[in-house]
Amino acid sequence: ESFLDVNPKSKLSESQIATPENAENLVIAAYSSLGNENYNNKTNSLWPYGDLRSGDAYKGGAGTGDMGEWNLYETFVSMRVDVGGLDQKWYRQYVAISRANNALQRINALSEEEYPKKTIRAAEMRFLRAHFLFELKLLFKQIPFIDETLPPEEYINVSNVQYTDAELWEKIIAEFRFAADNLPPDNDGQLGRANQYMAKAYLAKALLYAAYEQNEKHEVTNINQQKLEEVVALVDELAVRYDLAEDFAYNFLCEYENGPESIFAVQNSLNDGTEFGRLDWSAMLNYPMNAEYGCCGFHQPSQNLVNAYKTGDNGLPVFDGFNNTDMASAAQLKTQSIDPRLLHTVAIPGLPYKYKPDFIFENSWIRQIETYGYYMSLKEVVLYDSPCFKKVNPFMSSSKNRDIIRYDDALLWKAEALIELGRHMEALPTINRLRERAAESTSRLVDADGQPTGNFRVVTYQNGVNCNWTQAFARQALRWERRLELAMEGSRFFDLVRWGIADSYVNEYLSAEKAKRTYLAASTFEKNRDEFFPIPLAQINFSKKLYEQNYGWE
Amino acid sequence: QESAIKGRVTDTNGIPLEAVTVAVTETGASTMTGGDGAFVINASVGQTLRFSLVGAEAKTVAIVDTRPVDVQLDINFDLEEVVVTGYQTQRKADLTGAVSVVKMDEVTTQPTGNIMKTLQGRVPGTFITTSGSPDGAADVRIRGIGTLGNSNPLYIIDGMPSTKSMNEIATLDIESIQILKDASSASIYGSRAANGVIIITTKKGQRGSTKVEARISSGIKNYAKSLEWLDTEQRGYVQWQAARNDGTDPNFGVYGFEDHQDAQGNWVLDRVIIPEFIDAAKTMRAANTDWVDEVGRNAVIQNYNLNLSTGGENSKALFSLDYFDSDGTVRGTYFDRLSARINSDFSLLKGRLTLGENFSITKATHDVLGSTLGVTRNIQPIVPVHTVDGVGWGGPVAGMSDRQNPVRLIEDNKQNNNHMLRLFGDVFLDLQLLENLKFRSMLGMDYSFSWQRNMQKTYTSGFMSEPTASLVNYNNRWGNYVWNNTLTYKLDLKDKHHFDFLAGQELISYYSENLQAGRREFTSEDPDYMYLDAGEGAQTNSGSATEYRLLSYFGKINYNFADKYLASVTTRYDGSSRFGSNNPFGLFPAFSLGWRISEEDFFKSSLSFVSDFKLRFGWGQTGNQEIGDFASYGMYEARYGTNPTWDPDNGTAYDINGTGTGTLPSGYRRIQQSNPNLRWETATQNNFGVDFGLFGQRISGSFDYFTKNTDDILIQPPFIATLGEGGNRWVNGASMTNKGYEFLLTYANGTEKLRYTITGNLAGYRNKVTKLPEDVINSYPGNGVDQTILGRPLNSLFGYVADGLFRTPEDVTDHATQIGSGVGRIRYVDVNGNGTISDEDRTWLGVADPKFVYGINFSISYKRWDAGMFWNGLYGGLVNNGAKGYTDFISFFGGENYGTRVLGAWSPQNPDSDIPALSFNDLNDEKRFSTYFIESASYFKLRTLEVGYTVSPTALQRIGLQGVRVFALGENLVTFKKGWGENRYTGVDPETPNSGYPIPFSLTFGTTISF
Repeated sequence: ESFLDVNPKSKLSESQIATPENAENLVIAAYSSLGNENYNNKTNSLWPYGDLRSGDAYKGGAGTGDMGEWNLYETFVSMRVDVGGLDQKWYRQYVAISRANNALQRINALSEEEYPKKTIRAAEMRFLRAHFLFELKLLFKQIPFIDETLPPEEYINVSNVQYTDAELWEKIIAEFRFAADNLPPDNDGQLGRANQYMAKAYLAKALLYAAYEQNEKHEVTNINQQKLEEVVALVDELAVRYDLAEDFAYNFLCEYENGPESIFAVQNSLNDGTEFGRLDWSAMLNYPMNAEYGCCGFHQPSQNLVNAYKTGDNGLPVFDGFNNTDMASAAQLKTQSIDPRLLHTVAIPGLPYKYKPDFIFENSWIRQIETYGYYMSLKEVVLYDSPCFKKVNPFMSSSKNRDIIRYDDALLWKAEALIELGRHMEALPTINRLRERAAESTSRLVDADGQPTGNFRVVTYQNGVNCNWTQAFARQALRWERRLELAMEGSRFFDLVRWGIADSYVNEYLSAEKAKRTYLAASTFEKNRDEFFPIPLAQINFSKKLYEQNYGWE
Repeated sequence: QESAIKGRVTDTNGIPLEAVTVAVTETGASTMTGGDGAFVINASVGQTLRFSLVGAEAKTVAIVDTRPVDVQLDINFDLEEVVVTGYQTQRKADLTGAVSVVKMDEVTTQPTGNIMKTLQGRVPGTFITTSGSPDGAADVRIRGIGTLGNSNPLYIIDGMPSTKSMNEIATLDIESIQILKDASSASIYGSRAANGVIIITTKKGQRGSTKVEARISSGIKNYAKSLEWLDTEQRGYVQWQAARNDGTDPNFGVYGFEDHQDAQGNWVLDRVIIPEFIDAAKTMRAANTDWVDEVGRNAVIQNYNLNLSTGGENSKALFSLDYFDSDGTVRGTYFDRLSARINSDFSLLKGRLTLGENFSITKATHDVLGSTLGVTRNIQPIVPVHTVDGVGWGGPVAGMSDRQNPVRLIEDNKQNNNHMLRLFGDVFLDLQLLENLKFRSMLGMDYSFSWQRNMQKTYTSGFMSEPTASLVNYNNRWGNYVWNNTLTYKLDLKDKHHFDFLAGQELISYYSENLQAGRREFTSEDPDYMYLDAGEGAQTNSGSATEYRLLSYFGKINYNFADKYLASVTTRYDGSSRFGSNNPFGLFPAFSLGWRISEEDFFKSSLSFVSDFKLRFGWGQTGNQEIGDFASYGMYEARYGTNPTWDPDNGTAYDINGTGTGTLPSGYRRIQQSNPNLRWETATQNNFGVDFGLFGQRISGSFDYFTKNTDDILIQPPFIATLGEGGNRWVNGASMTNKGYEFLLTYANGTEKLRYTITGNLAGYRNKVTKLPEDVINSYPGNGVDQTILGRPLNSLFGYVADGLFRTPEDVTDHATQIGSGVGRIRYVDVNGNGTISDEDRTWLGVADPKFVYGINFSISYKRWDAGMFWNGLYGGLVNNGAKGYTDFISFFGGENYGTRVLGAWSPQNPDSDIPALSFNDLNDEKRFSTYFIESASYFKLRTLEVGYTVSPTALQRIGLQGVRVFALGENLVTFKKGWGENRYTGVDPETPNSGYPIPFSLTFGTTISF
């Protein structure tokens, strides 16, 4: 009988990993999930979910069939409950959560004597777990909450409606609060590790989302003032650690990564012992089709987004009528006044690509103009001669970090909270701070002769001078500012849903855009349904119908 | 002095035989026997008479005087054939299981890398699918799909079990093939026998004089162009038409157009404007490349075999050398193989002890790239193969798909080959302990080594480029040793009761280890330079190992009463290291019964035209252990990084310090949950069979009906996502049933000069999934709610029903609500009648498995000429012709090339077309799986047509040769497919759908020379 005793090769058993050293390593493996991704199933950046459905971007690529599931997301009408890509995205999030839970199980089994960093590491893992749950929550609303105390055989009994929408937010908030209470301000000087400030920032973000209370139909019914107060206080606490970078561009250049503005970022790396490096795979499809790059032309800014960067003679956004005419050519940018953040965000034919004056973006760099128009995404890419660029045939990307939370974003949460608290006057300087920085971020936006590539004009809001800063106006200004500042970074759709305006906003966008992009012809956003993705049918079936489908998708 | 010699021919039971040819060897004079078996022929004393009858062993009788000659012929000669049935041999007449014996002379002339390929359609119940690929890959299914995992049969080669393919065994070294289809015959091989057992015996030395046989054959395979893509002008037209249909400007990318609107407002194309160059740098001149032509060729196939056999009083030996070289009809693909074999045995102690060995060594080489046919549609015809300098590569420009120039792929992979060395063989000892008690011990090994040096060169091809050369070396070794010991005892009681006893034990131990190392950045791309040491950039390596063992005990009793009543009982007790600590062993019993009614007196007297009639029944269980080697363990692994090009990185390393470079700290990930209760999967089979022979075996055949229930099927079910990473585990979870039948009929007849045989076979099966864990059901076709795979065949098709196209605006308004509908678009059936086309309208669309497969073989010989023809077909199967996604649509894959069928797309000017209108968008979601893509897989093919000529022996004796045969062979000469009706096959060959490797038409000439 001993003849049949054959042990696994190059594998560890449960008992072999139960040491403090291995607990420490399991923590690293959990962090690794932040960068473990691929376009195929699915990007960790939320751009396919947050940008394509918001009117900021089109899918791009070689026609509507190329990564066709993303086409379903952005056209809404043909969405189904059994889209494989959504099921995979859901699964990938729980893969990351399972790594955190695995580490937590080992950590909990060790004593403080054996493992002095026990509480800190546990707080880190709860922070990470909460991050992945937060993203799931944005996408799917009702999700099963799984923690490390539950044995795996019990998971099948955990429903996605065990907690209500509000209770789920409280669970996630409690995780970030635990992390904020137990993490040191500076965690061993290791930039990739969660620390107290990171946790406070994420806590503020979770509170802001939770503050907009929704009913079952995804309609905002109340804005929780207490939560907003806490958002303001938490963002104020961040000021001791973080600051805006001098130039908006620094946030999108690897030379400046981990700068003063970066709060929580995926730490990517190159020449790190892996075959290609641990790169920003979320951007791997999003480079142009010219010889220096070669693939694959995804994530293309919409005409509507480009038009939104128009400014009026007063240097303020053109709130009304911005989309009446299309701003389409490099020449137009010389006359039409614009916010310079446009040229940090969008590649436009005839203008330098990624700040390189003699490297002109051409129509021929675009994958399929006839379907997806003339623009490409800039924030996530790097120059082909940058030391952090790497070709991974047929794709490519860079080791540039990807920010999950940045200080400019946090400042806008604070402004938003203040406005909804009725303290909109206090929000004014915060918003203006971003506008001032934007106005000054033009030194890299020049042509080969050193001349500005656009007629840049951004002016601060001055109550009674160029605007009447009422709550309603402030709200409009804030929502516009979030778009200008954070476009193409994957958050816009979730902003719209949080504000409760996704249906009207997206349908208005579609009604104009479908005339310009015929692939959108049949698209409409279905109110009380499309605010969230359906719970993947496969998961409902695995749960033996214990999971309940989101409203509108039953 | 010639005189009239009279006589009578009967069978061994004294029954007169009609139509026996009686010939005088010396003069060639011949006659035939009459109904009473009598004959008269003129001959002289001292001459020889030869008596022959189809199906019987011929006899020669010397004429010693002029008295009448009475001769008995054994018409059951065929039934006396000895068949290997599992650690022992049996007379065919005594078989009680479902065993097919392959007629080797029908299959050995085809030059092929894999003998199983030639059996396609010939053996009822053995379903073989192949492609035209030169590597000889063949998918072999015995009695259909019996399990949800690996359904490959078990091969037993000279007593050595193997689950590898037959690619490395020289076809001409094979002496016989038997296929054990039912459980009662296969269960002696217990473990791994659930998918059927194929027993292969290689040639052995023969007693008598030394014999040398040489065979040479060489042929040419014709490139069967099975894909038709648009040319440059047509591709332009399609772009124009789609853009005008969509109401957008057609002028984009490399094409421009001149067009106008007619009086009705319809757009009319005047001219497609093709630029001189497709790139701004003017390196690529606009071309009209037929990429399918560019990657194809007519290819040569060669096979040389030398076979030396010798045998004396106490020893026999065979040596063979075989070289097989097959180029593929798709450039860059090839397979060649050199193999040597020595089989020998020595008998000692007056024949009571035999020691011997069978050993072969094979070196095989094949390409790494594989077929580039699928790539030919990705690249547009306007792209030239080369840039204007004739050296650089053409490639995609903006607006085109990011896919490779297939000609570059072929050229740049020329130096990359996969090599394999396989050592296969055994040593054995046969010892006669008592007169009827024999002991046999066999120690065998099957070891393989493979290696590959894969060089990836730098290139620029349009916007595709690779600036860094890289190299990966692979080294794998794997295999097993087998040790088995058997005792056999023969017992005959009162001359009527015959017993065979067998008891045995077997050990199998398998181990595999692999190694991979890579390097980037090389200063030269010369193959003489590109070795790992020469690299200057990043280094990568990986390696792993695996192991399993099997331990088995088995026994068998065969009983034969007076050749009339037959019975057999088998049991096997198998242990596998793959199962959990709680259930390593499984017990697999079987029995079978046979009744040779034709041996009964009442039968003989009343139905004398029936020469053989046997009823068979068998019941048995077989096991399956095709799961991961460590399937029962819970496991974690260190995984620093994985290649994230096509799948997400699953690494465990992270730049926690934020330094952006350098060695990273790394951890572990869970890869599997444990299941210590895992146990053997078991298939239970019933087999009812009839063997029959009529008119002295002129007509013979068999019919089998079987049921096969597989329980505890080993699956690794998908799991609820919250389990996260490593949530997978193996379980015994599913059940399925198979029912089927096999029919074989042979008619053989002829005279001394003209002989002919016709053999037909027909087989079909249906399977049904009867049990699945609830959370797994949705991994199979169905809607997850009320429509599931349970109670249906595994290969059921589920989707929407396409009901032609909307042809008028009224068609659209009259129809149920269908998002994206419009004139020229596909209309889907509102199956549930709720007025809206949605998910609930999906339904069962058919079953992919064929209703039956069949084959018919004709062979005829006249004097020294022989000819054979083999037809084979498949009826009633369905294929998901996914290729329609690019032969009928341009919206699914943007920027590529498309099939010529799109030229016939629906338009107001072409209102009768069934192909949807051209559009760059798929607003109607026509990509959804529907009957639009389901087509008939039925075909009927002339597989082989062969003509041979054997040179006269007397002519050869003068030059010292014993025999020479020359032959010409054509393969795949004619194909019929279903070209009509709703589900007509729209591609070229339904056997290789979806850019599959086309099966070439080929012509081979060869000769066999024996000394």
